[in-house]
Amino acid sequence: METYPRRYAPVATLAGRGTAGEFRKSLSGVAVGADRAIHALGDGEVRVFDANGGVARAWKAPDQAACLAVAADGRVFVGAPGRVEIYGVAGNRVGGFAIGKAGQPADVSAVKVFRDAILVADASARLVRRYDANGVERGLIGSQHKTGSFMLPNRSLDIDVDAAGTVYASDTGRHQVTTWKLDGTPVAAFGKFGMARPEDFVGCCNPVNLAVAPDGCVVTGEKVAARVKVFGPDRALLAVIGPEHFDPMCIHIHLAVDSSGRIVAGDPVRRTITIFGRS
Amino acid sequence: MSDTTTRRKFIDTTCRVVGFAALGGVGAVLTSRASAHGVYQVDPLKCTSCDLCRTTCVLSLSAVKAVNEFSKCGYCMLCPAYMDVTSAPNEKGVPSGKVCPQDALKRRVVGKEDPDDPNNNYYEYTVDEPACTGCGKCVKACKPPMGNGSLRLEIRYDRCVTCNECSILIACPEAAIVRVPAPGLSPLVTHGETANG
Amino acid sequence: MDDRSLADAPGAEAGGPVAPSRCGGHARRPLWPLILLVVAFASSALLAQYQKKPPDFGGVHAFPTPTHPEPRGVVLLSLDVAMLAVGLGLGAYFVLKRRSRTGTLLLSIAAIAYFGFYRKGCTCPIGSIQNVTLSLVDPRYIISPGIIAFFLLPLLAALLFGRVFCGGVCPLGTVQDLVLLRPMNVPRKLDRVLRWIPFLYLALAIFFAGWGLPTVTSSGKAIVLRRFLICEWDPFIGIFRLSGPFHMLAIGAGFILVGMFYGRPYCRWLCPYGGLLSILSRVSWKNVTVTPDKETYCGMCADACPYGAIHDYNADRATCVSCARCYECCPREIVRLRREGIPAKRYVSVPGGRGPA
Repeated sequence: METYPRRYAPVATLAGRGTAGEFRKSLSGVAVGADRAIHALGDGEVRVFDANGGVARAWKAPDQAACLAVAADGRVFVGAPGRVEIYGVAGNRVGGFAIGKAGQPADVSAVKVFRDAILVADASARLVRRYDANGVERGLIGSQHKTGSFMLPNRSLDIDVDAAGTVYASDTGRHQVTTWKLDGTPVAAFGKFGMARPEDFVGCCNPVNLAVAPDGCVVTGEKVAARVKVFGPDRALLAVIGPEHFDPMCIHIHLAVDSSGRIVAGDPVRRTITIFGRS
Repeated sequence: MSDTTTRRKFIDTTCRVVGFAALGGVGAVLTSRASAHGVYQVDPLKCTSCDLCRTTCVLSLSAVKAVNEFSKCGYCMLCPAYMDVTSAPNEKGVPSGKVCPQDALKRRVVGKEDPDDPNNNYYEYTVDEPACTGCGKCVKACKPPMGNGSLRLEIRYDRCVTCNECSILIACPEAAIVRVPAPGLSPLVTHGETANG
Repeated sequence: MDDRSLADAPGAEAGGPVAPSRCGGHARRPLWPLILLVVAFASSALLAQYQKKPPDFGGVHAFPTPTHPEPRGVVLLSLDVAMLAVGLGLGAYFVLKRRSRTGTLLLSIAAIAYFGFYRKGCTCPIGSIQNVTLSLVDPRYIISPGIIAFFLLPLLAALLFGRVFCGGVCPLGTVQDLVLLRPMNVPRKLDRVLRWIPFLYLALAIFFAGWGLPTVTSSGKAIVLRRFLICEWDPFIGIFRLSGPFHMLAIGAGFILVGMFYGRPYCRWLCPYGGLLSILSRVSWKNVTVTPDKETYCGMCADACPYGAIHDYNADRATCVSCARCYECCPREIVRLRREGIPAKRYVSVPGGRGPA
């Protein structure tokens, strides 16, 4: 039995069967607000959970919405094919803009906000697009790769941004977590394919999801292995949250980290949200 | 004597008319239910790649082949159906073992090629049908969550002799061989509408 | 990920509006675009997670579509039905009009070449009993007009001309005819009993085709499995396919062995379709006759018939398979044909004949 420097255990479960916030058809994304309120996207709507696990607010999301993010001021950004919609704290729509060319809606697989910049992961173009607050595209991230884009055999790109403005993107075809500056300059990359060592990423396209913790740790989610791994700032493997917590048929594990370092993981097959804390 | 022949002839004629009427009636009922020519096909949602397609077809080389649905394929370099991802990696870090026992899954590089780093390439995977035996190992390996599920087993009509009763149907443990109207590519549409097997 | 429809996938534009096919409805020939299969995948919630646009290679790669060889087309299927109708017509002509064994023999060889070795024996009228049963029992079963024609045409021919299907067309019968060396007598009483077996087999075949038995598959699934017994126990299909499981080839060899000495054992004592044909042949409009006022009571026809179908100088319409051997050996026939200028052989020991009485 491997031992790791850290151990995580589930401390709470949200949206389980029979609870008020139960998701009946789908769970597409999770995000944490600055006030540690957990936001989730599923069943065609955005739901905000309160501290007791009940639903504080909910509003209808755009058709086929696939991802969401919460800005520091509480605004909620929801990504849907070819669009990003912006909602206020109460759920009222305050803005939105189109992604990609008209008639060819881009596949938006992740959206994150850093100060004024809105980062949109365009899985069909296999790049991250950076927009300003008015919805004008300002730059691309990922085009300085050797092949000009990320490799995405599983057709999904997950991104996150830390407090310093470094963008993290999961390059699933290359089995790497890549880091970039906001202007698209590559910074570093870590990870490789491997079936044997726990710090490697298994299968044909992993890690499918990632999130950045406030202390600089990178949390990755893998399919097939159905596990969540925590890498430290020096990219050493700190913890493995094992497959017993996730459904083996998951092709995503939606991840977010709150301000106290607890990991929020959404299982799209079981449609539950589990919060893991250090033990 | 003439009485007998008349009575005999009468019985014969009556029976003949009844016979025609019966055949006509059966023919009318059947024609009202007639639909397209029916062929057998594998239902990919039920198939578990159990290898019986390879062994129970009446032909010595089974008419069931693996087919890659290109629009769903990920074109992965590390295709789990092409290579055995758990096998020992070669010097470039690519696993060296193959899944297909006949090496019937072929690949070629598409798009911009990087000859130095295979990780930078996309590959197009096609099945070499004369070599494929329909064992389904690649299909099993491509199933979600490991793969995209683009490979499936399919009865190929240029080889199938369209037996009246498919012998694979009898053996299939999941009742995955279904009868569909020709051209035979939509088992899921007629899912639940066929009655055979 | 949420459920997404495939409508925005590439190729959806290529497929046009698709009409779903109803098996219990009218005969239709819808064109199934390839995209229909991909759309059908949308019915599975789990697979719906995968319905995204494929990688964009920047225009340098055109996605191939998988090839899908078409099954036998409507034209060729209609050709099969036409060949059957022509064969039946020719059979009636050669037996009843020309009274020629040679013609019937050549016709049956042509039929075994087409229906036996080229079409590999499937689907045949004998097996069509099962398809017809299944369609009558369950209207959802897909049955094509071709199979209906295969079922009805030989029966209609039997009502009109007798068992011309058996003698001139059926490949299974031809196999047995061609291996017949030295036909031997079967005692009449035994023959009478054995002639009930086809009806027993017919009942069993109908039961298994229409209703079947509940079984448990090797993976533990409980299903009602309908079986096509006639197809599974067809002794000669291995010859046509040139392969088969050992037990089938052994049974086929057994029938051939028996068939060398007892004419057409499968046809007389097993064939369920033959049972149907024998019923209809009894009341047929025209049939093989041993004309009582012209014959000389020599009895050579009865000797020539390998199937024991001629008793008391009458052809037993139920048993007679219209092979024309009796006509070939009748001295009156030879005289008549020679008078008409048609060269007719003198009766000698011919295959199928028992030799001079």
